[in-house]
Amino acid sequence: MSFDILYYTYFIVKFSFLLYGLILIFIYSSGILLSDRAVKRNKKRAHFLQVNDIVSATDIPSVTLVAPAYNEGKTIVENVKSLLAIQYPFYDLLIVNDGSTDNTMQLLIDKYDLEPFDTTFSTQPIPTATVNRIFKSRKAQYKQLTVIDKNNGGKADAINAGINFAASELILCTDADCIIEQDALLKMVRPYLEESDQEIIACGGAIGIANDSVISNGTIKELRLPNDMIPMIQVVEYIRAFLIGRMGWGEINGLMLVSGAFGMYPRNRLIDVGGYDAKTVGEDFDLCIKLRVHMEQIKKPYKVVYVPETLCWTEAPPDYDIFIKQRDRWARGLIETLFIHKKLFLNPKYRNVGLFFIPYWFFFEFGAPIVEFLGLISLIVFGIFGLINWTTALLLLFSVYLFGCIFSTVAIFFYVKSFKHYSTSKQVTELLLAAYLEPFLYHPVLVYAQIKGYYKILFNIKSGWGVMKRRGFKTID
Amino acid sequence: MINIFLIVLIKIFAVVLIMLWVTIGVSIVYRRRRTKNLLLIEKTFAEVISKHLYPYPGEELSLVEIQRIFRNVGIIPSKPRNVQYLIDLMIRTQRSLLGENYEKLVVLFNQIPPYGASVSKLKSTKWYVKARGIREIYEMDQTRYVKEVIKERNNRNIYVRREAQIAMVIFLGWESLRFLSYLKREMTLWQQIKIVEKLHDLYPEPNLQYLRRAYESEKTYANELIMRIIRKFNLITEVDYILQFVDNRNFDTRESAIYCISSFYLSNSQLKLLKEKYFKVPNVSQQIQLLKYIDKISFDKDLEFYKKLLYTADDIIKLSTAEILWNNGYKEEVQEFYYQQYTNQSLKVEDSL
Repeated sequence: MSFDILYYTYFIVKFSFLLYGLILIFIYSSGILLSDRAVKRNKKRAHFLQVNDIVSATDIPSVTLVAPAYNEGKTIVENVKSLLAIQYPFYDLLIVNDGSTDNTMQLLIDKYDLEPFDTTFSTQPIPTATVNRIFKSRKAQYKQLTVIDKNNGGKADAINAGINFAASELILCTDADCIIEQDALLKMVRPYLEESDQEIIACGGAIGIANDSVISNGTIKELRLPNDMIPMIQVVEYIRAFLIGRMGWGEINGLMLVSGAFGMYPRNRLIDVGGYDAKTVGEDFDLCIKLRVHMEQIKKPYKVVYVPETLCWTEAPPDYDIFIKQRDRWARGLIETLFIHKKLFLNPKYRNVGLFFIPYWFFFEFGAPIVEFLGLISLIVFGIFGLINWTTALLLLFSVYLFGCIFSTVAIFFYVKSFKHYSTSKQVTELLLAAYLEPFLYHPVLVYAQIKGYYKILFNIKSGWGVMKRRGFKTID
Repeated sequence: MINIFLIVLIKIFAVVLIMLWVTIGVSIVYRRRRTKNLLLIEKTFAEVISKHLYPYPGEELSLVEIQRIFRNVGIIPSKPRNVQYLIDLMIRTQRSLLGENYEKLVVLFNQIPPYGASVSKLKSTKWYVKARGIREIYEMDQTRYVKEVIKERNNRNIYVRREAQIAMVIFLGWESLRFLSYLKREMTLWQQIKIVEKLHDLYPEPNLQYLRRAYESEKTYANELIMRIIRKFNLITEVDYILQFVDNRNFDTRESAIYCISSFYLSNSQLKLLKEKYFKVPNVSQQIQLLKYIDKISFDKDLEFYKKLLYTADDIIKLSTAEILWNNGYKEEVQEFYYQQYTNQSLKVEDSL
């Protein structure tokens, strides 16, 4: 009798895992097809709206790039120099010093010859930590630069301060330590120029990893693949996530996340939803959901889009320690945001957002690490009771591994075919090797980090953003 | 049974993986060779065009010679991608040419193979081929195909109709505005920008007769386009047209109206009308934009208007109004407003402290 119960439990658990896996494989395969279509179409469309045409155009929307800075004295001068060099006819740069305790502010004042201006009557539609002073440069060549000096309130709060003081139609949110391609704004603004009946409420661009690349004057002089395995695998992960994942979701207007490191939004919509939520560590995910919910409520057709080209480069965590901290934070951000927006779950009032996209994030983004963890436990428990056919289990594991390899290989193929960043045989071989080693060297650590984040939330263990130590880019004069 | 199925599945996956590796390898090799080939075409084109446009005396290239040179680098009808690359190079080049050289390039474009490449693209069922054909027709000034192009002005695909509408403006100038009322589909911001730019570059002398005829259109995009034209050509006499849209129901139309009107100074009656409309604008950010504009163009400050805002409007507008009054010397009014905010009750609290 007890064996029967155990056997039936095993049977149900086995088929539940199988069903979950098959649904995931179906979603990933659909993602490949959708992203292929999206990337091809994007390429064709780009032919009819080239950056050279936009550069010389009048009447295009003005853009403010908002970059928060906290204790970035070592790199701030160079980073601002790089951000000032971005090409766009109607462009303002707003650096928000978020209460740095180092010399970030003084360096900016000295280097860019800043002077404070009267802010008695400045308005702040989104409440933030106290803004102390606002600076403008005395030098004509830096006329588009504004620096806000405010008390510390976190990244989201700093960006909100930037949104308040910006006077443009569009806002590009990024980090001060990211390297932005010179023509990034011209490419990011394209969807807004081409919007018709659906309002573009957010536009994201692909983010690349520039560890060990050579940087000169704030631009990438030579893009190299990272030397270490952890960032190298993240290159593959980013390619897969942006090119297959986000482009695929974008194709069915199902994007629920635009990365905080590089996202463009209409200012009026940001103010409508009260900007970023400073209380969650998943503020970018939360913002995108808030914008979608807002549009659903006012019943206006909208779209969240992605530009497949890599327009922003960042430094990935170089070792396991920092990597775990980052993914633990992302996992907490995910769970917090899903909890904040729990009313959307399977709620037909929010149409596809409530019925499909939020449930997807719940079951397959939030749920995947839990399922993997439970799978491992089931394997051990049922193995002890002798219910597992190990030959079948190993064959199944190997076939799943091969499917994963195919998925990553397709992503690398799409990237190599569409972009010129990694074009040599050596680079492609290295990327493929990293992709095939990922399940052994990277994925278990990722699941551990995510489970750690969930654990912290479950037992209410306080943990903020954490310190993300960076090695910095290799720069040459 | 399951094991056999899994083994077959693994074999299939392995084959797919190997195929992908081969495809990636082929793709890398192809790209390398293609880049080399395109560079050769580009270099050859540069040499031919420089010799064709600026020949040494007695060394002019004949058409046959040009055709032979291009044929040697693979510009033949059986290689349409090479031909397309040549067309793209010619279009890029013509943008930096004027006068006689431009004419010479256009003549050459019509004389090298495949003849009629652009117009044949209009028959394609693929939107991007069709749109490309239209673009080539207007970029290379092939006026004889204007009828074929006009037919596409209401095409279902946004890119095809956009290129067709731009072509109409290029070929017909101000007269093309008479089609505005008959356009059936949406017009994007970029479409409007391009139309205004082309009109300004090629037909700088405004023809108000066609513009006013277009006023009849009730379509939002048409209204926005006309406002942009009025702004670009600085048509002071037509400002009333923009004024009527300042309090429009549609956010984007209001945005365009506010943006366009901001480049004009208004008469007293127009300013009065604008102030009346101000209260009907439902968006605070737009109201602030208007407020700054009204402040900029007003020689005499309308104290009554500002006081009304100071005491009845949204907090952010109150602050902006206070700033305007303060900067224009009405400090007492701002201070009076500031002190009246403290109610008797709050003052009592202070007293008791």
